Amino acid sequence: MAIRGFLLASFLLSCLAATCHGVTFSSLQDTLIVTASPQPGQVLKAGEDKITVTWALNTSSPAGIDSAYKTVKVKLCYAPISQQDRAWRKTVDTLKKDKTCQHKIVAKPYSSSNNTFTWTVQRDVPTATYFIRAYVHNSADEEVAYGQTTDSHKTTNLFEVQAISGRHVSLDIASICFSAFSIVSLFGFFFLEKRKAKASQTK
Amino acid sequence: MANIEGSPGSSMHGVTGREPVLAFSVASPMVPTDTTAKFDLPVDSEHKAKKFKLFSLANPHMRTFHLSWISFFTCFVSTFAAAPLVPIIRDNLNLTKSDIGNAGVASVSGSIFSRLVMGAVCDLLGPRYGCAFLIMLSAPTVFCMSFVSSAGGYVAVRFMIGFSLATFVSCQYWMSTMFNSKIIGLVNGTAAGWGNMGGGATQLIMPLLYDIIRRTGSTPFSAWRIAFFIPGWLHVIMGILVMTLGQDLPDGNLSALQKKGEVAKDKFGKVLWYAVTNYRTWIFVLLYGYSMGVELSTDNVIAEYFYDRFDLKLHTAGTIAATFGMANIVARPFGGFASDYSARKFGMRGRLWTLWILQTLGGTFCLLLGRANSLPLAVTFMIIFSVGAQAACGATFGIIPFVSRRSLGVISGMTGAGGNFGSGLTQLLFFTSSKYSTATGLSYMGIMIIACTLPVTLVHFPQWGSMFLPPSKDVDKASEEHYYSSEYTEEEKKKNMHHNSLKFAENSRSERGSRVGSAATPPNSTPNHV
Repeated sequence: MAIRGFLLASFLLSCLAATCHGVTFSSLQDTLIVTASPQPGQVLKAGEDKITVTWALNTSSPAGIDSAYKTVKVKLCYAPISQQDRAWRKTVDTLKKDKTCQHKIVAKPYSSSNNTFTWTVQRDVPTATYFIRAYVHNSADEEVAYGQTTDSHKTTNLFEVQAISGRHVSLDIASICFSAFSIVSLFGFFFLEKRKAKASQTK
Repeated sequence: MANIEGSPGSSMHGVTGREPVLAFSVASPMVPTDTTAKFDLPVDSEHKAKKFKLFSLANPHMRTFHLSWISFFTCFVSTFAAAPLVPIIRDNLNLTKSDIGNAGVASVSGSIFSRLVMGAVCDLLGPRYGCAFLIMLSAPTVFCMSFVSSAGGYVAVRFMIGFSLATFVSCQYWMSTMFNSKIIGLVNGTAAGWGNMGGGATQLIMPLLYDIIRRTGSTPFSAWRIAFFIPGWLHVIMGILVMTLGQDLPDGNLSALQKKGEVAKDKFGKVLWYAVTNYRTWIFVLLYGYSMGVELSTDNVIAEYFYDRFDLKLHTAGTIAATFGMANIVARPFGGFASDYSARKFGMRGRLWTLWILQTLGGTFCLLLGRANSLPLAVTFMIIFSVGAQAACGATFGIIPFVSRRSLGVISGMTGAGGNFGSGLTQLLFFTSSKYSTATGLSYMGIMIIACTLPVTLVHFPQWGSMFLPPSKDVDKASEEHYYSSEYTEEEKKKNMHHNSLKFAENSRSERGSRVGSAATPPNSTPNHV
């Protein structure tokens, strides 16, 4: 009896500990169906092209599962190929430390169907391969469920974004002008001084 | 005279132990003042300043000091300017960890060669044009950052900007034409430390500039490019100031410099031979790679490390990273001071122990830094690591003047190159592959620092001993004169080429520590013709 009580207490404590350590991705329920407009392998241009995301509750989920669902946050996430050799995009189970999904698309209140949003790919999105994931948060703003456009191995239905280069013609021209000024003034000074020295020597 | 008074490397500062160690001035009986000269500071017979007045811009001595260290500082700013912006640049250019690591290696490798060439350039054109040429020809490389659109371009531009670190040579050379050799040690040490601070200041400046430019509405991928214009303009401004306000000699005359022949009259081949065959040279080349070298490596990786590991904002990570490099303002001079202080009682053995303690301390805290999981702990460990490593740099150059008298210039140059080489090596080994995280890389680097500092226990001077061994019991071998004149052949000794070394040897007896008074004068040390 005492042992059972002890086991129950330790079980509850460990559940508490798990939530104290942070919500993990593996504990989330996969209950949303998320679809997005980009075709597999399509290349979108940052700053120009648009993505339309649609999400809804999976109708085959048990009834009442969405009683705690409050808000939905839709994010642009890196596919495994874009995470290679880039530890700053690493996938970690503890969601607080997870760096897979770094670009926010939209946050909306939860409703089980008829959710859609059109987003212009922002100009700070880097060149990489992506998929889209939507996290469902409860009223304590903790993740409780998710849905994504790709499979559990993150290999299907991926699309690419081509980032802006960040270069501008005006920057290039300014750069050339200042470089030229630097070189010209250096050699200008040098030869001017040499000439002055020669002139004062011949005097 | 076999050695030109005041030529780079001829400093005898601090060698008697009776002179004030961190001397800001040298009094008249020791170096006579030229009273006919009309300068702001008291000068010697060559019109080199005998006094170091920090808050003065008087022409030409103090003005040279400020132009010189600020130029060196500017080059450090531009060489490490990319480091705090890497979180943005890596997304813009789609860089992998190995690209970032390779760029870091490239940024410190270029100057290994440019520093060697710079010495010759200063001999040919004088330090003023040496500095101006380098700083203005490297300005276009800084502006080139706005063109970069791939990993290859990024690595190439960082390599080219890295050449500008050779301003270190022009800085030290220029000051030895302006300051008396008895105070040149402190002057050059201060300039070197303050220049190195640029590596810290840039971690503060660049994220700040980036933030401001973003606020004006620029996208992140353009803002970092625009931010690079500021270091570029600094190059151009300093180049113009150096050319218009600077002068080569106290009397302003470059051709006189060439007539006197600042080129040492000694044969370069011989000087190189005695540098290369002295095993102590190589030990200090290795050691400096793990004090200065790890300082440069850390300058390159620390901002990104704090940004990623602790999820900080870019400018917060930059501020923390800046404290690492800015510690140079006191840490490096402190190392030199600690070395001199320990030498008062324990002589050269004290200096060796001081160096070992400081550098091992740095290594230990580098190891702990990699293991620290909380931000306050990490920052604390980083600061202690920085003080340890930078003080070790200062302490190293407290010993180098005693390794050789004849080849001091070459040994100083080789040690400096060892620093850059060590930096390239540690970045290649620990911060380029994805096999381990940056945190693990830092810990391994800490272990390597501790391991590579152990060879200092092998440095043995017959006349002074080593860390664990006392001086040699052989009265002949255990003399300073024997050590320093062994760098000359019998023929050269007959020509009395070694008489400056003998003078130095006599003055270096202070490295015996508090035993100086009790040391018996070696029988053959006093020249017969006195």
